[in-house]
Amino acid sequence: MLPSFIVIGILIVASQYVFLKGSFYKDLGLGRIGDTAVLDNYIRFFTDPFYLRTLWITIKTSALAAFFTLLLGFPVAYLIARMRSRWSMLLLAGIVVATFVTIVIKVFGLIIIFAADGWVNKMLLGLHIVDRPYTIIGNQVGVVVGLMHFTLGFGVLLLYSVIQTIPRSLEEAAQIHGASRFRMHLRVLLPLSLPGITVGSLMIFNMCMGAFTSAALLGGGRVFTLPVLIQRTVMMEVKYSMAGTLSAILLITVLLINLLSVFLLRRFRTARLVVT
Amino acid sequence: MSYSPTNATDLVQRRNSPPPRMGFPWGRLFHYVYCSLSYIFLLAPMVVVVGASLHGGEFYTAIRFPPVEPSLRWYGEIPSSQFEALGLSFLLAGGAALGACVIGIPAALGIVRARLPGRTFISSVFRAPLQIPSIVTGIAFLQLYYLFGDATGLYFQGTFLGLYLGHLFVATPYVIGTVTAILQRFDSRLEEAALSLGASRWSTFRRVTLPVIMPGVYAGALYAFMVSFGDVPISIFLTAPGFVTYPVELFYGMENDFNPSILASASLVIFFCLLVLLGMQKLVGLDNLLRSGSR
Repeated sequence: MLPSFIVIGILIVASQYVFLKGSFYKDLGLGRIGDTAVLDNYIRFFTDPFYLRTLWITIKTSALAAFFTLLLGFPVAYLIARMRSRWSMLLLAGIVVATFVTIVIKVFGLIIIFAADGWVNKMLLGLHIVDRPYTIIGNQVGVVVGLMHFTLGFGVLLLYSVIQTIPRSLEEAAQIHGASRFRMHLRVLLPLSLPGITVGSLMIFNMCMGAFTSAALLGGGRVFTLPVLIQRTVMMEVKYSMAGTLSAILLITVLLINLLSVFLLRRFRTARLVVT
Repeated sequence: MSYSPTNATDLVQRRNSPPPRMGFPWGRLFHYVYCSLSYIFLLAPMVVVVGASLHGGEFYTAIRFPPVEPSLRWYGEIPSSQFEALGLSFLLAGGAALGACVIGIPAALGIVRARLPGRTFISSVFRAPLQIPSIVTGIAFLQLYYLFGDATGLYFQGTFLGLYLGHLFVATPYVIGTVTAILQRFDSRLEEAALSLGASRWSTFRRVTLPVIMPGVYAGALYAFMVSFGDVPISIFLTAPGFVTYPVELFYGMENDFNPSILASASLVIFFCLLVLLGMQKLVGLDNLLRSGSR
């Protein structure tokens, strides 16, 4: 174990140290940085409305995507987890394939679906729902849809494992005692899966916060989330320190959310112990 | 075996079946329709990519779904650069999966078995790469290589080794996670029995431990492979022009110079993923895969 620990440890410490340190230096343009450590970049981030707006958009799109992922994913996860036939394997396979195929290909498909002369737009135009072709490239709706495609498969698998830990017999008991399907879901399934859902949604939210590919491709250079901005700051503006600052802020946000989820998980666990 | 109430209620359920229910099961129907819509949402992009790749029209009218002139034309015109990128991605992902097993299996054994102080800390260090957003990992490695290069004259960015280290970094926690999950359920008395019957440490590991953790290794290696194979945010910083992985090639292809052959190669990748999945289903079973996969 020791060699593994050393390899991973060195990689973590070295990589994180370098950019965190770099984030405290001033950018002089063309990739050169100043030679004294200052807080300039951080002050700039929290005073410049552009950066604050980026942070806000990142949080907003991630929260929306996480919410809709849960909304679409939970019934599917429930269906698969409670299915008794062999079909469940097929349904599961569909989810796993969707998780494994790289997000670039999925975004590509999305762009084709919503192409100006694609059949979705023809249909929308034909039914007079919109008067000009609707596009998802370059707006926040598109980014949210892209993020959902990034997380949905993963989210279903996560919720699937959560629901599997809830004994089916509890639901049956509720129904035998005369609870309607809806009432059973509300009073039995939901409370029991709440810890899993909470922690899972925080994980999904974190995935979205750090998601680069779908946000970059569907943002089309007009919607900036933090990961997209980080890549642009490095590749186009060659400002390594500022990119380091942005990365540090993203990292800290994500870690804080993780801490919150660990904390919540503990709370739920102790609460559960009291109940049983 | 612990007491399981499922069987008892199952019996009750079966005796009374069908359970008395009034009218048409609207709730159930709604659930099925809802799930179908979720599936359409989830799978449509991939279906569309495969469908559109079968359209053989001219360059600028080449994206059509459903295909108007079905042909396999664009499959024949996939440029060699895309095959090179695919090759690099395979090599990288395979290597990352292998390396992840080499690092991950001993790490998992250590986490579960060793009576060390600070086990939680150690295991959270091993999981840390999953907490760091990939884009941050990418830029962190890039800057590390710059610094290392300035100090020693060896620049890693745009080399296979540099790219490989980045991928290994994110791939390893998956193997650690899946193997740890299995080891925690594994009865260590099996190993003690083998040892006390005179097996050496190595043959105990090879004949007893390894077969038990194998499903976890497969699952972890599969996750590691797929994460590495589909990665953009790390690779985009660590690749160089003429030396790109397939997703990055695709990424640039979509941003800049679009070529319909992208659709064809993307379809090939989708089929490849399906094949891998089928193989895994045969090898360990999807259910096992996911049970050990939930971190």
